[in-house]
Amino acid sequence: MTRDAIVAEGLSYWYGELIAVDHISFGVAEGEILGFLGPNGAGKTTTVKMLTGQLKPKAGKAILLGIDVASDVEKVQGEIGVCFEETNLYEQMSAIENLKLFARLFGTREFDGYALLRRVGLAGREKDRVENYSKGMKQRLMVARSLVNRPRVLFLDEPTAGLDPASSESIRNIILEERERGATVFLTTHDMMEADKLSDRVAFMDQGKIVALDTPHNLKQQYGKRALKAKVSTDSGKLEDREIALDTPETPSAIRELFARERVVTIHSEEASLEDIFIRITGRGLEG
Amino acid sequence: MNLRVVGALVIKDLSLFFRNRAFTLLTIFGLIVYLIIYFVIPGSVDESLDIGLYAPVVPPAFEQIQGEGLKMEVVESEETLRKGVIEGRYVAGVALPADIMERLMSGQKPQVKLYVTSDAPGEIKDAVGVLITEFAYLQTGQSLAIEVSEEILGQDMIGMQIPPRDRLRPLLAVFILLVETMGLATLIGEEVERRTIQALLVTPMTVRDLFAAKGIMGVSLAFGQATLFMAVVGGMSGQPLIMLATLLLGAVLVTGIGFLIGSLARDMLSVMPWVLVVFIPLVIPSFNVMFPGTFTGWVKVIPSYYLVDTVHRVSNFGAGWGDIWRNLLMLALFSIVIVWIGITALRRKFQ
Repeated sequence: MTRDAIVAEGLSYWYGELIAVDHISFGVAEGEILGFLGPNGAGKTTTVKMLTGQLKPKAGKAILLGIDVASDVEKVQGEIGVCFEETNLYEQMSAIENLKLFARLFGTREFDGYALLRRVGLAGREKDRVENYSKGMKQRLMVARSLVNRPRVLFLDEPTAGLDPASSESIRNIILEERERGATVFLTTHDMMEADKLSDRVAFMDQGKIVALDTPHNLKQQYGKRALKAKVSTDSGKLEDREIALDTPETPSAIRELFARERVVTIHSEEASLEDIFIRITGRGLEG
Repeated sequence: MNLRVVGALVIKDLSLFFRNRAFTLLTIFGLIVYLIIYFVIPGSVDESLDIGLYAPVVPPAFEQIQGEGLKMEVVESEETLRKGVIEGRYVAGVALPADIMERLMSGQKPQVKLYVTSDAPGEIKDAVGVLITEFAYLQTGQSLAIEVSEEILGQDMIGMQIPPRDRLRPLLAVFILLVETMGLATLIGEEVERRTIQALLVTPMTVRDLFAAKGIMGVSLAFGQATLFMAVVGGMSGQPLIMLATLLLGAVLVTGIGFLIGSLARDMLSVMPWVLVVFIPLVIPSFNVMFPGTFTGWVKVIPSYYLVDTVHRVSNFGAGWGDIWRNLLMLALFSIVIVWIGITALRRKFQ
């Protein structure tokens, strides 16, 4: 039986009157990628801070790898890697110096910073000062830094935000490689496509609460609406759209009728996106 | 405390410190400039005595007592004499009464006025006193024939016989120590502002490790430079152990101040005004050494007083442990309190 690498039990945090995280409970299995989604101010960052030992929960418990985070935060932090959304590198130092510093802090033995930099596509720029790096390079270095201790649990906060498609793809590949290695990945993102593509399960967070948690497929099944979309040519030569809802008793006859009565030019099925589902559940989009 | 973690942080901070051109220039050139200032300032005291004399009638014996190292200038009025003393043209002024010869001849004691500069050391006053006594003896055959009344003009600065540059030593030592607060405070401020602290705080590093590393870095930079300076200017020659202990406590004090400023500032630019705010009061006790009597007892509420006074007394008068232990105790207490305040303020900022 796979045990949960991350367990949140009634986790809560508030800033004065404002409740940021409201008694949330969930588990993330070892080797699983959990996409953690929600608009700004939903409580995602506060949750991550409690899980990584940066904030002490006001109520509830965070357990990582079987250890209560509040009781042995250093031990937990030795086993995790965190990649922040905002760049926070030592810019006057080179990439390799940044990695070596964190390897020393973690006490990582047999650390090969050059190999890690090669892996994130920074080969040849290892000794350049970080201040001379582009945003994408800095982001890749941030990811590399979160991997120096070969973490068993990896927290990634918007790891591909603002990156070009090639850089984003290389980071996604690294996330999948880490999962292959056996790491548990807690992925906070606004990018629903990315979450859909990478995550084994996704959690929707809104106003401090987890409003849905399941696999993308199940969420789509539960909340989404599948449809068949077609373009048909009319007698006057114009193109018109037709939509047939799938998964209803009338679907087969509606499809037959479409082909019998209309001149179908194109046809394709369409699934609900995670964003559609989020809107359906919360009544608003991810932009808040 | 994890020594591996602390070591890694100290190496990182030293590396960042010396990569900042402004800090490197301030550290290296600052030290060179202070040494130049020290060696340019006279290292000896002018022993010649310039004495002003007002005498409506110059007695014949006065001609005989002028000699090597003694220059006597006769002035027109007592007012001119006082002005000359205040302006520093004469280290002392002697005013003889108009009827001095008649009084001496009739066996009465004429009253001679002695004006001294505010910074005239006791030795000079003694020397002029001897001069007048000698004059009386030459003129009348007895030394007690003249009554001398002394008037001090300006502030009393008895004990100015120490060469000016040695008086400057405590001031320069305080300067060197304080300049390092700027580097430390900037590193701390930037650590928070650039959020690198956040990255550190999700590693096995504890906040205690972080303070230890910053403390070691601040103390070693300040202590190292101040020790080097003192060694070059001869401040270590008399009581090296006491001097080292004093500078070490001074370095701890300024590290605490660095923590405090680091908790208030965000980067090098915002550090500067705060450094100035603490710099000015902390150098005040040094002026008390350069110009004795400038400030009264209240100066003892300034923590750096105990640093300055100890450096002064140890390097200039060879004071021992028995003479300065109270100073060291006070300096240690102030250092502990300020480091504690600094750590508390920083801890709040980190959280």
